[in-house]
Amino acid sequence: METALTKVKSEEYGGELIQLVSFNLEKEEYGINVLMVREIIRMLNITRVPNTPHYVEGVINLRGKVIPIINLRKKFDLVDSEYDKRTRIMVMEVVGELMGFIVDEVSEVIRISEKEIQPPPPAVSSGIEQECMAGVINQADRLLVLLDLERMFSADERRLFSNVG
Amino acid sequence: MAIDCEDQELLEGFLAETTELLEKLDDDLITLEKSPDDAELMNRIFRSIHTVKGASSFLGFDMLVKVTHKTEDVLNRLRKGELFLNPEIMDVILEAVDLVKTLVADIKGGDIVERDLEGTISKLIPFLSENATEATVLAPTSAPKEEKVATPPSPPEPAADAAAKAAGEKESAPADTGAPKAAAAAPATQPKPQPVKEPQKPAPKGEELADNSTVRVDVKRLDDLMNQVGELVLERNRMIQLHSDYQTGLDPTGFGDDFGKLSKRLNFVTSELQMQVLKMRMLPVEKVFKKFPRIVRNLARDLGKEVDLVIIGEETELDRSVVDEIGDPLIHLIRNALDHGLETPDQRLASGKDRTGTVVLSAAHEGNQIVISIKDDGRGIDPERISKKALEKGLVTEEQLASMGNREILDLLFLPGFSTKEQTTDLSGRGVGMDVVRTNIRKLNGIIEIKNDVGHGTEFTLKLPLTLAIIQSLLVEVEKEVYSIPLASVIETMRVSKNEFHMIGGQEVLKLRDSVLPLLRLQQTFSCQEVYTDRDTCYVVIVGVAEKRIGLIVTRLLGQQEVAIKSLGKFLANLPGIGGSTIMGDGRVALIVDPIGLIGGGAA
Repeated sequence: METALTKVKSEEYGGELIQLVSFNLEKEEYGINVLMVREIIRMLNITRVPNTPHYVEGVINLRGKVIPIINLRKKFDLVDSEYDKRTRIMVMEVVGELMGFIVDEVSEVIRISEKEIQPPPPAVSSGIEQECMAGVINQADRLLVLLDLERMFSADERRLFSNVG
Repeated sequence: MAIDCEDQELLEGFLAETTELLEKLDDDLITLEKSPDDAELMNRIFRSIHTVKGASSFLGFDMLVKVTHKTEDVLNRLRKGELFLNPEIMDVILEAVDLVKTLVADIKGGDIVERDLEGTISKLIPFLSENATEATVLAPTSAPKEEKVATPPSPPEPAADAAAKAAGEKESAPADTGAPKAAAAAPATQPKPQPVKEPQKPAPKGEELADNSTVRVDVKRLDDLMNQVGELVLERNRMIQLHSDYQTGLDPTGFGDDFGKLSKRLNFVTSELQMQVLKMRMLPVEKVFKKFPRIVRNLARDLGKEVDLVIIGEETELDRSVVDEIGDPLIHLIRNALDHGLETPDQRLASGKDRTGTVVLSAAHEGNQIVISIKDDGRGIDPERISKKALEKGLVTEEQLASMGNREILDLLFLPGFSTKEQTTDLSGRGVGMDVVRTNIRKLNGIIEIKNDVGHGTEFTLKLPLTLAIIQSLLVEVEKEVYSIPLASVIETMRVSKNEFHMIGGQEVLKLRDSVLPLLRLQQTFSCQEVYTDRDTCYVVIVGVAEKRIGLIVTRLLGQQEVAIKSLGKFLANLPGIGGSTIMGDGRVALIVDPIGLIGGGAA
């Protein structure tokens, strides 16, 4: 039933349109559904929180609310780099909690149709990055990795997150 | 069946009002039982139930109307002196009120469930007959039966009987016009209770009826708040003005002075504002206390004890967050007082006490804390029995016990799984009660003290902070990072040179006057990067939790500040030694140290 419905739609509109925020990490381009993103802010003073996993950079004050900040470079085991004037914090709501993610650069919001999303390629390496990869978008001149951050905080990890130390 | 009510606002108003009336009703009814001659009180009760009836019939909640109508009739007879209040009548009325609460809770839940009304109504009906004496004899025989068996097979007879009588005497008793009608309806609907055996939605407890999502605030407080906000706006305008003056270079010389004055006034206004808002969050502890008379009455009847509950200081105000949390622990403590503490009337007489036991529940402010105490004049706690039980249950070993003082033995009460009851009843004996008390009080950063006088009673004292939202704290620096330590747990601070530290068995200690104080380097615990390597003095902040003391080594003290506690969110909850965070004057986040976590954690 549902599939039939989607088909009709895709014939009429050429697939359901979704909007993605694209950002860069170590020269690779990633996309995240725009509905997940609350806001994008510049780097702030981050207060380190002891006894947390290495990728938890600390907490910031977002207009009176204290939210945890995660360094996506560290989370994905990429080479660490200095923050510069293009570094951004993307504030997102993940499993009901606000969280900030540090990325190298936020570039634009792009519209794609759902059928452009291809399933992720079979695991070359089974890293964390692989786990939260929801798909790949292959456009003429670019290759975007679609991320699903909910998946990044699997139940297991969430527990770990709060009990590390 | 879903609720079909066009006017949502009307419904909400009805729910709010009814909930409030019902909450008060319980209390009033218990008071009435003690002073049945209070006409004023009687009238108030009558009015409340009448209002509920009127409103529910207006909104078309038929089930509610049925129950309240009958209850009202019984109350009316009591009011007119045609019936005399006795515990049986009170039991039935209370049951009816409970049913009303359940029905209201259903409406609030947005789903009306068919409930067994006849059971309760048929208990009410006997009291509507003219010869009330006979009715009171009938009632107790039918009531207990019904409580055990879900379907009431027998009540129809007495009910119909009584109803017939009432109908016969219609002319002579024009007062209870409701009775004959109801009587006629009752037998007609009697067959209905049979299918009621089907799974019913569990009836929500009466206490859940209380709505915590809205607050009633005194208009005067609101006006005061508005005034404060007005002043704040003025100060803000002043600030903007000052800034634009400064930018245009109007008077750069006076800027510093003006700015100083402004920040002083701003400081004053905001602290006033803070107080006002804090006050608005305050609730009288009465909110929790008022359900206890009813609980105590029921418990006392179940246990066959005679109890006088004295409540003192119910007007004491404390923060909403605290009010919400102390209900459960208090219920446990009161249950314990009645079940374990107080003796039966005969035992009491034998030991030369009054038949009636007394439980005193009191609340009072003491400095920055609220002190709640539950005191009974029962048999007290026998340490011998406690230690024996703890040993039996394998909670302690013989050697551990031998080294314990009386105080420590009493503390065994709080161990999960501890119970002195041989048999588990629905009242107590599962061994969770005191553990719940301890957990909840700990969550509130409170302290529990037990005063025990074997043979003469026990007193549990709870000391709780007034609010959980804002605390006084000591700001310290640890290798360029700022941490905040709750001032409530700071005992003293001192400046020490590093060569005063000693090592005992791998533990750094400090000789403090005549005791040895274990030390904890916050820099190591929080794995901060060492910045200062050449300093040979540092500061020690001595913190205490219960009887334990520990010295925290910090780089320097920054001062005392009132801070608002911000949660770290659920991802960073449960970090050892970190209790939360706060936002500093410069907008940065500082973490709040949790001394309980530090002392409890393996480090000490």
